[in-house]
Amino acid sequence: MTKTSIPGFGLAVARLFTIQAAWTYERMLGIGFGFVAEPMLRGLRRNGDSQAYRGAVARQSRFFNAHPYFASLAVGAAVRAELDGVQPERIERLRSALAGPLGSLGDRLIWAGWLPACAAIALMLVALSAGAWAVVAFLVLYNVTHVWLRVWGLKAGFRSGIGVAGALSAPGLQRALELVTPVAAFLVGGALVSVLAWIPVRARWETAAGAAAALLFAAAVRAIQPRATGMVVAGGVLAAVLVVGVLW
Amino acid sequence: MSPPSLVLLLAVGAVVGLDLVAVPQAMLARPLVAGFLGGAVAGRPLVGLTIGALLELFAFETLPVGAARYPDWGPAACAAGALAALRGGWDGTWMVGVMVVALLAAWLGGVTMHLERRLNAAQVRRREAAIESGDPRALAALQLGGMARDAARAALLTAFTFLVGERVARAVEAGWRAPRALADVAVIGTALGVAAWSAWRLYGQRPSRRWLAAGAVAGIAVLGAIAL
Repeated sequence: MTKTSIPGFGLAVARLFTIQAAWTYERMLGIGFGFVAEPMLRGLRRNGDSQAYRGAVARQSRFFNAHPYFASLAVGAAVRAELDGVQPERIERLRSALAGPLGSLGDRLIWAGWLPACAAIALMLVALSAGAWAVVAFLVLYNVTHVWLRVWGLKAGFRSGIGVAGALSAPGLQRALELVTPVAAFLVGGALVSVLAWIPVRARWETAAGAAAALLFAAAVRAIQPRATGMVVAGGVLAAVLVVGVLW
Repeated sequence: MSPPSLVLLLAVGAVVGLDLVAVPQAMLARPLVAGFLGGAVAGRPLVGLTIGALLELFAFETLPVGAARYPDWGPAACAAGALAALRGGWDGTWMVGVMVVALLAAWLGGVTMHLERRLNAAQVRRREAAIESGDPRALAALQLGGMARDAARAALLTAFTFLVGERVARAVEAGWRAPRALADVAVIGTALGVAAWSAWRLYGQRPSRRWLAAGAVAGIAVLGAIAL
């Protein structure tokens, strides 16, 4: 089956963007997984076998958890396995086996790598007075990768079926994993300095005092981990400053 | 803000709130984008971008990983962007008031998302038989219901941040007696402090630590060159 002849592929791609819409603690991405897979499973119904189609939809709607972008790889593989008539037990084992690696891959590559890298670039652009272009650059840069990953995952999963593990060891993906962390670290380091110089305060000494306060604050948050997040501590500090400022 | 603009702000807040988890995860929910959009609704997108960029520093700490409860920055940043735009520019005392409410709203966003997930689960249980029989209409109804609940949740959070934030910011600005620099330093210190801590948490291990330091040095060098 060539990629252009994948039944329901376009609708499944559109539905991929909603894969987390009915997220629950019991099934996690399960309902969304089934919803995405359903158009590609219609081939089973067209063969006059409604029972096989419904059984496949129900199976694909059970518990599943992974990174939302990389879940497309599992959807493609599971659908291919269903269409190839693989035994249901093997398909369920395939879904279970993919959940952990796909979650870990997405967390490292996207949440801890690509997203901070793109945000850092945007912050540097803001600091360089790029204005609205910083927002445009962020959205375009991030989403080119995001959309490509979803579509690639669905195609690669469908191509590979039960042997989808091979797609995870693709050289390009492994190289991206090696590169993304150092690149993101470098960009974030640069962004923090750039932002400090950009914040529009009245006097230069305020910037220096802000930097010193930031280092103290970061050290304090580090010391109290994991009892409170930085955001909660920051909220408390700002609320205290607010009270002090009014009662002075 | 006029009622039509407020309605538009709630609609934009709903869209950025939906983006975080439900659809399409295109990072419209990032404070940088949401603040800019909120500012645009109030007529000054670049002022909205200012507070969006500051909130983005806080959001570095957030990793939206699966079942974890994490803050929802989008609606809070959208309303904060509009509030900053209404003020017209940077003012530390106004920013402190808006920031406190925005941080509270982002935290509330995490709490309400947890409640929404439990509501989703109740709906799934109600349709369990249809799901197990492979009924695609049941799946579609659950997906649509999840999106509708998420949009309503985000719009309410946007309204909360805007209405409470405006009152708090006005009260703080009017009643502020301390040197104004205190507000500036507090905002910069906490925002950059959270970002610095988050950067250390993500990249504080070898060999990433070297890259983080190299980036900071490169940033200083570039800024120095620009200043000269």
